[in-house]
Amino acid sequence: MLRIEHLTKKYGEKVAVDDLSLHIAPGEIYGFIGHNGAGKTTTLKSAVGILNFDEGEIFIDGISIKENPLEAKRRLAYIPDNPDLYEFMTGIKYLNFIADIYKVSAEDRQARIHDLAERFKLTADLAQPIAAYSHGMKQKLAVISAFLHEPKLILMDEPFVGLDPTASHLLKQMMRELCDRGGAIFFSTHVLEVAEKLCDKVAIIKNGKLIRSGTMEEVKGDDSLEEVFLELEEEK
Amino acid sequence: MLGILIKKQLMEIFRGYFYDTRKNKARSKAATIGLVALFAVLVVGMLGSMFYAMAAGLCPPLVSAGLGWLYFAMVDLLAIFLGVLGSAFTTYAGLYLAKDNDLLLSMPIPVRTIVAARSFTVYLMGLLFSGVVIIPALIAYWQTVPVTAAAVIGGIVFLLLVSAVVLVLSCLLGYGVARLSVKLKNKSWITTILALVFITVYYVFYFKGMELLQDFILHIDEYTGKIGAKLGFLKVFGEVGEGKWTAILVSVLAVFILCAAVWTVLLRSFTKIATADRSGGKAVYREKAARERGVMKALESKEFGRFTSSANYMLNCGLSAVFLLLLGGALLVKGSEILPVLDAFSAQFPGLVFVLLVAAIGALASTVDITVPSVSLEGRSLWILQSLPVDGWDVLKAKMSVQLKLTLPPTLFASVCAGIVLKPSAVEWILLILLPVIAVVFYTAFGLMLGILRANLNWTNEITIIKQSLMVLIYMLASFAYGLVVGGLYFVVGPDLGAVAWLSIVGAVTAVLAVLVLHWLKTKGTKRFAHL
Repeated sequence: MLRIEHLTKKYGEKVAVDDLSLHIAPGEIYGFIGHNGAGKTTTLKSAVGILNFDEGEIFIDGISIKENPLEAKRRLAYIPDNPDLYEFMTGIKYLNFIADIYKVSAEDRQARIHDLAERFKLTADLAQPIAAYSHGMKQKLAVISAFLHEPKLILMDEPFVGLDPTASHLLKQMMRELCDRGGAIFFSTHVLEVAEKLCDKVAIIKNGKLIRSGTMEEVKGDDSLEEVFLELEEEK
Repeated sequence: MLGILIKKQLMEIFRGYFYDTRKNKARSKAATIGLVALFAVLVVGMLGSMFYAMAAGLCPPLVSAGLGWLYFAMVDLLAIFLGVLGSAFTTYAGLYLAKDNDLLLSMPIPVRTIVAARSFTVYLMGLLFSGVVIIPALIAYWQTVPVTAAAVIGGIVFLLLVSAVVLVLSCLLGYGVARLSVKLKNKSWITTILALVFITVYYVFYFKGMELLQDFILHIDEYTGKIGAKLGFLKVFGEVGEGKWTAILVSVLAVFILCAAVWTVLLRSFTKIATADRSGGKAVYREKAARERGVMKALESKEFGRFTSSANYMLNCGLSAVFLLLLGGALLVKGSEILPVLDAFSAQFPGLVFVLLVAAIGALASTVDITVPSVSLEGRSLWILQSLPVDGWDVLKAKMSVQLKLTLPPTLFASVCAGIVLKPSAVEWILLILLPVIAVVFYTAFGLMLGILRANLNWTNEITIIKQSLMVLIYMLASFAYGLVVGGLYFVVGPDLGAVAWLSIVGAVTAVLAVLVLHWLKTKGTKRFAHL
């Protein structure tokens, strides 16, 4: 579903991501962990077509994000680390805007907005301007908008930050449901317990380089993911 | 502490002069000097020389009639008019709506320091606008009378006092808008309408004042002696400019009391207003049947939503659309009186009135600058458009469509009104309609190009993007140039070419420029925008 091949991204002289390759298959929840500034957000932003990259290729469902960005983007959704949404819109206007862009039919969007907003307990606030939302409410709206067009792949940057425990639990459930339907999730997190419980596979990035990846068992063996991560971080 | 906060605010306002956000590095000294020089040419060179010409004509007769105080009183009224108008729309946002309110209030900074720093920026804007009037007026005065220490000190105090009055009036207006805004639901619209009412009242008073002034100059002997007694305070304030010590003392005291009163009001209410819930009460969501829109419609609707969500944006960037309607109306009502006056020159410059009207409509229409800040205003939400499956060119077209849809109808209205008054030939009708339209298309695209070239996505107050950015200044200079080139150059080429030929050349050149800029937007502009 997502194939990153030899991705290299530089900011001036600084190499943010260095020859990174990852394959995420349909049905997989893939965790992406690393220290602050390791290159997680840069990788995610490159994969969704926000950032140009210097070398390598990224394919979404077999389509190159570089060569055919619009087709690739139609198959994915992205949730950034900070839900900076259009504060001048109300929640419902924002969702309709996203649905219009992805050409979701009137019937489908109505049913999905109803269902998702109810699940996240956001229905009553949909007429409010986003400027009046709390951080958590914005995050819920970002999550709803990501699931609205039923993408095949969702890339998320720290998706659980700001969510209350109920919403956090619901999001994990929805991530699993999407993968059970043949979709895939690639997300970054600092909460290693969540990654350990939720992910089928995990990748660890350090200073822009992929230092370990594979199934959870392959990466951590008998240790906890936290122990493995700290051990790798200490290595020069 | 105050110094640090003021420095932070100044850095935000003047960042564009010292820092290139696109290259993410500091500008060279030469580039900074060039940009500052550009600013100086626009503000000092153009506006300053305009006001100097006015002052130099007014000063000698009034001073020789012993009415120096009246000269300064008129200068002070004009400076306050311009100063308040210049900062009125930005004060509310400048004082209360900065994104770092919570951060600053959570830090060990006294509220009075935050208010003082914010007020300083308002003061600076007021000083800039009032200074453009007062400094040339002082120069004209010092050329007329012998320069004494008292006159120089009086002049400087006069400038500081007038800018302080501008600060007081702007802050009161900002405070009033803020109090209203906390309670209102459609606050951007209501603020805009109130501001328009304010401007209308202001203009009515201003023009009435000008009529009275003309009458006064014509009957100066009758009025001398009567007016001073009736306008006591204005006289005292005017005498400050002449360097009269008693007047300086009284005026400084009066302005100090005014400032202290407004300071108390601001200080007591700041935290409550700055941290108020501006949602205007909770709106109840009622599920309705959803409607599908095409991608372009959705993007356009988003852009209109952004424009109408901010009174600052509407007033600072779209106000000229209203002025175009007023121009059209004024032409219909007063055109038959004004145009024959200009027609006196038609023997030397055939079709001058026609050319000047086309230039005026085009110049006014080109001062609508909605597209200039539209890219920067995406701010930290830019990731949405960049990650969605939308063509970059569609996004840019949507941004331009707001300006085109809001500017073209009033432009056409003004052109048709001009046509009704002028009764032009068929060819002239075509030019009268077509030229302003081409100008609007060009300036819309040009504004967007500037917005992409120097996008600033990291701002804490939208006012810095909407009003104080370098690109807005360059755009205004360019729109000013349109009227100057089309109308001014006609005095040079008019006798040889004639109006139709000259305007045909102008139309063709503007159209070519528009095509070039649109081509740049479609090719390089979309690429730049996609990866800002």
